[in-house]
Amino acid sequence: MSFEAISNFIAAFFTLSIFSFLYKDNPFYKFAEAMFVGVSMGYAIPLVYINTFIPFVYRPIFVEHNFWILIPALMGSLYIFRFSKNYSWLSRYPIVFGMAIVGMGVPLSMHASVLVQMRSAMMPIETLNSALIFVGTITILLYFFFSKEHKGVYGKITNIGIWYMMVGFGASFGYTVMARISLLIGRIQFLLGDWLGVMK
Amino acid sequence: MANEKKNFFDRMQALDRRYIYLVVALAIILPLIIPFNSKTYVTEPAENVYKKIDSFVSPETNLGRRDRAVLLVFNHDASTMAELFPMEVSILRHCFQRKIPVFTICFLPTAKPLMDYALQTAKEDFNVQSGIDYVNFGFKPWALFTPIVLGMGDDIAKAVETDDEGRIVENLEIMKEIKNYNEMNLVVDFAASAAVVRWITYARSRFGANVAAGVTAVMAADNYPYLQTGQLVGMLAGLKGAAEYEKLVDVFAMHRVKENGVEKIVSRNYSKEVLKDSWIKLSDIKNTSYKMARLGMNAQTIAHIMIIVFIVLGNIGYFVNKKRDAKK
Amino acid sequence: MKRQIPLLIVIILGFIFAIHTFVPHKASADFYDWYQTWMKAISPFMVLLGIMSLFMVNTAKIRRKVPNWQYSVVTLLSLIVTGAIGFIWGTQEGTPFMWTFKNIQLPMGATMFSLLAFYIASAAYKAFRARSLEATVLLAAAIIVMLGQVPIGMAISKWIPEVSNWILNVPNLAAKRGIALGVGLGMTATSLKILLGIERTYLGGGE
Repeated sequence: MSFEAISNFIAAFFTLSIFSFLYKDNPFYKFAEAMFVGVSMGYAIPLVYINTFIPFVYRPIFVEHNFWILIPALMGSLYIFRFSKNYSWLSRYPIVFGMAIVGMGVPLSMHASVLVQMRSAMMPIETLNSALIFVGTITILLYFFFSKEHKGVYGKITNIGIWYMMVGFGASFGYTVMARISLLIGRIQFLLGDWLGVMK
Repeated sequence: MANEKKNFFDRMQALDRRYIYLVVALAIILPLIIPFNSKTYVTEPAENVYKKIDSFVSPETNLGRRDRAVLLVFNHDASTMAELFPMEVSILRHCFQRKIPVFTICFLPTAKPLMDYALQTAKEDFNVQSGIDYVNFGFKPWALFTPIVLGMGDDIAKAVETDDEGRIVENLEIMKEIKNYNEMNLVVDFAASAAVVRWITYARSRFGANVAAGVTAVMAADNYPYLQTGQLVGMLAGLKGAAEYEKLVDVFAMHRVKENGVEKIVSRNYSKEVLKDSWIKLSDIKNTSYKMARLGMNAQTIAHIMIIVFIVLGNIGYFVNKKRDAKK
Repeated sequence: MKRQIPLLIVIILGFIFAIHTFVPHKASADFYDWYQTWMKAISPFMVLLGIMSLFMVNTAKIRRKVPNWQYSVVTLLSLIVTGAIGFIWGTQEGTPFMWTFKNIQLPMGATMFSLLAFYIASAAYKAFRARSLEATVLLAAAIIVMLGQVPIGMAISKWIPEVSNWILNVPNLAAKRGIALGVGLGMTATSLKILLGIERTYLGGGE
């Protein structure tokens, strides 16, 4: 058996171990799942060290002698107190430092998700489709306005919004089915192609 | 119900799910073993991604401009690889063939090996060099996602500092004429989440960067409002999107012509007419990694029909029983 | 004080950021440079959170000998071994680190999610019922989109992909825009609440 064949065999073993869950929960699945969690986390340690700690902490301090970087580095190490009973408040410092960027999020998310979308919703209605989009957007917004009871004429209007949403959810659902199937296709392509070599 | 004799529809409703699983497996295995040629039509959002990348080719040299670049963001792990990996490989092949400078970056540890794998797969047939034709910026922690997206608006080299091999990005040859989003004028975010909205929010709103999405089909329907406003220049949606891009690359960037019996690859410009009549024989493409999505679409077809049949059968049983219960 | 000072940092830095968005002055650019450098130096330590929490959960399971505690040993060993492999041989293509990815992590990660294909098929058969007119519309839209995505849709009728695209580009677009506007306003409001110190859950419990 070549090295590649052995590698494929191992990959196939883990693939089938996970698939075995479809029959019922069993030790193979549990073993694979436990290993998966460990391996996934294990990746982070050398990657963070090599790609982040070395260039952003070690090099500035020890090579370039920029000792100011000691402050954020010490602040970052306060994360370890997150699980301590008495000192967990110290871990708030690195958290809030990262959180501060929301100051920019306020105007920019307003622009990206609200203003630009609104501008497009207010374009002159020239075609039937643009009229339909306009009606849909308005009725859905009215549907999500809960300060007025959805009864009478108002209820009928918001009902149109529900129909639009049903079509929207249907589209998402159709796409979701497609996505799930694709993932399975990927795995079966591996088993049939790389492992068993029966795929044309 | 317990004392009543179960009719055919009751039994159908109570069918053990493991039989269903068996049908699902067969619906996917059979079309992969016995392939048939099915034609993937190309949608406008996918076409637009292709055209945008191709617009970075200089008409004089017919090669990529050195003052334009594409950034590919690998924002997913192996779980959604089946849908996104073929997209990534095809876009990389497009850029490599047309000599368009391309950058890659990821913010998840589990995306990093995937990114290397995609680069490795795509560059097999090309003579491209890291630092000159492409750069892998490597893995950066998620906490730096927004700071780097914003930082690149000013200076890419300063925002990422080092590449995957630990080299200072600023000194790399590829960076000579590339400073920020004005040059790196397209970001393609591959994600199974709404991460692309963050590119729209921070890179598009603030710096006017062009953003495109390579998303899993689950996320695709949500992106239509952004496509209409132009906040997304294009989108590849799920395995179909990947199949579309594979096809576009084979029809245009890597067009095969036979001259005196020798096969040659010639790049040609995008044209709707050519696309309409084009037919790629999948068996002509030797490397399976370059036709993965299109091969998968055969199985996808059968599986969709199976799901629709399941829905219809399930509903027939439901309505028959409902009618019977109403009679009682 | 243990809450006030961090809150004050968010408010002050947050407002500077809000101003930075609109002011292209050099001071504003310098502020961002400073923030970026500091944030980069903080970021590597965040991984400690994940590792510590995984260690704590699993060592507790092993210590208490809860049912199936042996699997926690597997998790911890895999974590240590994968980390060690990365440190010893590096993380580039062609290293054992990449081998573990291709042959262990990738197959498991990809298969885990592919199980959903089976569940969705089973749900299609057992749960997706046209119980009301609305549900029927949902199913009809889903079926058309499903057919529109695959080559057979085109083979049945050229109208199927056309209708599928229309659904996505018109009613679906309107629906998702309505929802996106709501989400966008919600996101802006949440950011504003954090900025003004009203939303504080990210600080965690305790004093």
